[in-house]
Amino acid sequence: MQLRLAVRVMALYVAATVVVIGILMFRAYDTARSLSEQELVMRASDLAKYVVVSPDGTPRLDLPPRLAASYDSPSATDIFAIRDVGGRIVAASPPRFGELVSSWPPATQQPAHFDVRDLGTERNGYDGISIRLESPAGPLSISVGRSGAATALVYSLLRKFIHDIIWAVSFLVLAALVIGILAIRGGLKSVRDVSDKAAAIGPHATSVRLPEENVPSEITPLVTAVNRALDRLDQGFAVQRQFTANAAHELRTPLAIVTASLDAMEGNGELEKLKADVARMNRLVDQLLRVARLDAVALDVSEPVDLKEVAREVVETMAPWALARKRTLAFSGADKPVRVRGNAHAIADAVRNVVENAVVHSPAGAEVLVSSHSNGSVSVADHGPGISAADQQRIFDRFWRGKNSQTEGAGLGLAIVQEIVKMHGGTIGVENGPKGGAVFTLCFAAPALEPTSEP
Amino acid sequence: MTASWCAQLRILLIEDETRIAELVTRALTRAGFVVDAFGSCADGRESVALGQYDAAILDLGLPDGDGLSLVTAIRSSGNRLPILILTAKDAVEDRVSGLDAGADDYLVKPFAMTELIARTKALLRRPGSALGTLLNAGNLTFDTIGRDVRIADAPLTVPRREIAILEHLMRRLGRVVPKTVLEDKLYDDELESNAIPVHVHHLRRRLLDAGATAQIHTVRGVGYLLTES
Repeated sequence: MQLRLAVRVMALYVAATVVVIGILMFRAYDTARSLSEQELVMRASDLAKYVVVSPDGTPRLDLPPRLAASYDSPSATDIFAIRDVGGRIVAASPPRFGELVSSWPPATQQPAHFDVRDLGTERNGYDGISIRLESPAGPLSISVGRSGAATALVYSLLRKFIHDIIWAVSFLVLAALVIGILAIRGGLKSVRDVSDKAAAIGPHATSVRLPEENVPSEITPLVTAVNRALDRLDQGFAVQRQFTANAAHELRTPLAIVTASLDAMEGNGELEKLKADVARMNRLVDQLLRVARLDAVALDVSEPVDLKEVAREVVETMAPWALARKRTLAFSGADKPVRVRGNAHAIADAVRNVVENAVVHSPAGAEVLVSSHSNGSVSVADHGPGISAADQQRIFDRFWRGKNSQTEGAGLGLAIVQEIVKMHGGTIGVENGPKGGAVFTLCFAAPALEPTSEP
Repeated sequence: MTASWCAQLRILLIEDETRIAELVTRALTRAGFVVDAFGSCADGRESVALGQYDAAILDLGLPDGDGLSLVTAIRSSGNRLPILILTAKDAVEDRVSGLDAGADDYLVKPFAMTELIARTKALLRRPGSALGTLLNAGNLTFDTIGRDVRIADAPLTVPRREIAILEHLMRRLGRVVPKTVLEDKLYDDELESNAIPVHVHHLRRRLLDAGATAQIHTVRGVGYLLTES
């Protein structure tokens, strides 16, 4: 839009410049021409004043000697021819001009322009007028002309002037254009800012509102309307999230009762299956609640976190659980802390989910290794079947479960992990280890604050 | 642990959800505890003041007030009663504020009864608590005052350092004891980085040879844990 606007303004400016310069040139040449015409008319009337009646009754030109000399000089720039009513040449300089003029029709009171090329003089090309004037010897047709060379100075001055004007105007237009473009940019900057803000709005950032200050007043109603629409959307989102959270929360107490009741029963194999079913339901409700919380609450991811300590603690708390399932957990990490910015509880939650997943997919007796790395990442390696290339893309989708999945998971665990990692501006990846098994790597923001954060 | 000798251990349960209270009471009774169950903060405060309890299990969402304020009240009166919090709120802040108020541990609903009993016993196993003197794991017993280790009532000779490790493992039965904690507690001034693994290795051998049902597991890179079977 900016470019289009600038191009339009530029085209407009250039067109305006051409028109202005054209008018200026036309006016300048027109003025020059009318001035030279006036001068010629004056010269003609001057000549007419010197025409006297000779004793034989015919008109005769009686020029003062100085004037006559200037006309007679071979380098004279001016020519004239005077005819009487009968068409007879009274006087002419040079005589060749008289011969030429004698064939012309008599002049009228309106000056008529002529243009002669070759008179055999030193100069070529004469412009002039023919006019009928009253004189002491009666009406006369007077033709006066001037060599082009004489007017050349005037016209060269004129050209110089126009040349200068073109430069000056062009420069002015250019300056105006630059100012115009800057003004457009300045005016649209606030609009661009609003656009940037709008681009950041997503399902996780519905609380963003477009700034209504500094926006061009023409756009303010639009911005206000968009903000109102966002308010309504936000409310809708909040209601939905709250519903999920509440539903999951309310399910917990009855589930706790069912779980506890089953625990208290002594029974056959059916009871064990029932317990497993309820355990699965517990897990699902728990994960739903976690997802709902992640969706609803903006996570503070700015605390300094020691990734190594978080990963180690997850291993510490989960080792008994893994042991009860005949799997072992191990941790490896450098001596130095791995500092990142984030939310320790959320990161622990993410690592816990990945470890849970790894333990569930490991064969009995296998070890799951959790490692922290100095580049701000945590990896979890298992000895399970690994993950096929096709599944690696979809494994983080909500409610996605492997085709032959025998596990009790709801398919939310890894989606939760991805959500948490995303909120930290990090990445999560999965690949198969060199000796089989899957390796999940959770990479959080690089530990750029390492040196300053030491106390 | 047999019912006969822990019959005198009294647990105070404050939980307004009657079904949960009923089930928890039944499970704890079966585990050998005597349980007094109440459904409100007021009753809880009164019982703590009057009764002699060895531990309290407290629900956070009570009809007449927040369970957290009850924890604060108990602690501010100088009572060191071990407190386990039960809560359906699993938001991070709730857990943290529960522990900040002075609770010793927490469990998020829904929980498995076995977990509740294990956590309760762990609280009682702390030094100074009801089960803090005579520690128990499977057929392994350890008298913390007499420094006497027995397996199925047969005395077992264990060197001083290994006994110290065993005590930590037994107090935190079923949970990981970080190697760093053992190092801090056992070697204040000495710097023997591989001493702990060596001692644990010997202790494990010793227990196995003597026929202990409790087992020491290694969590590589973190520490050790003792399980009953």
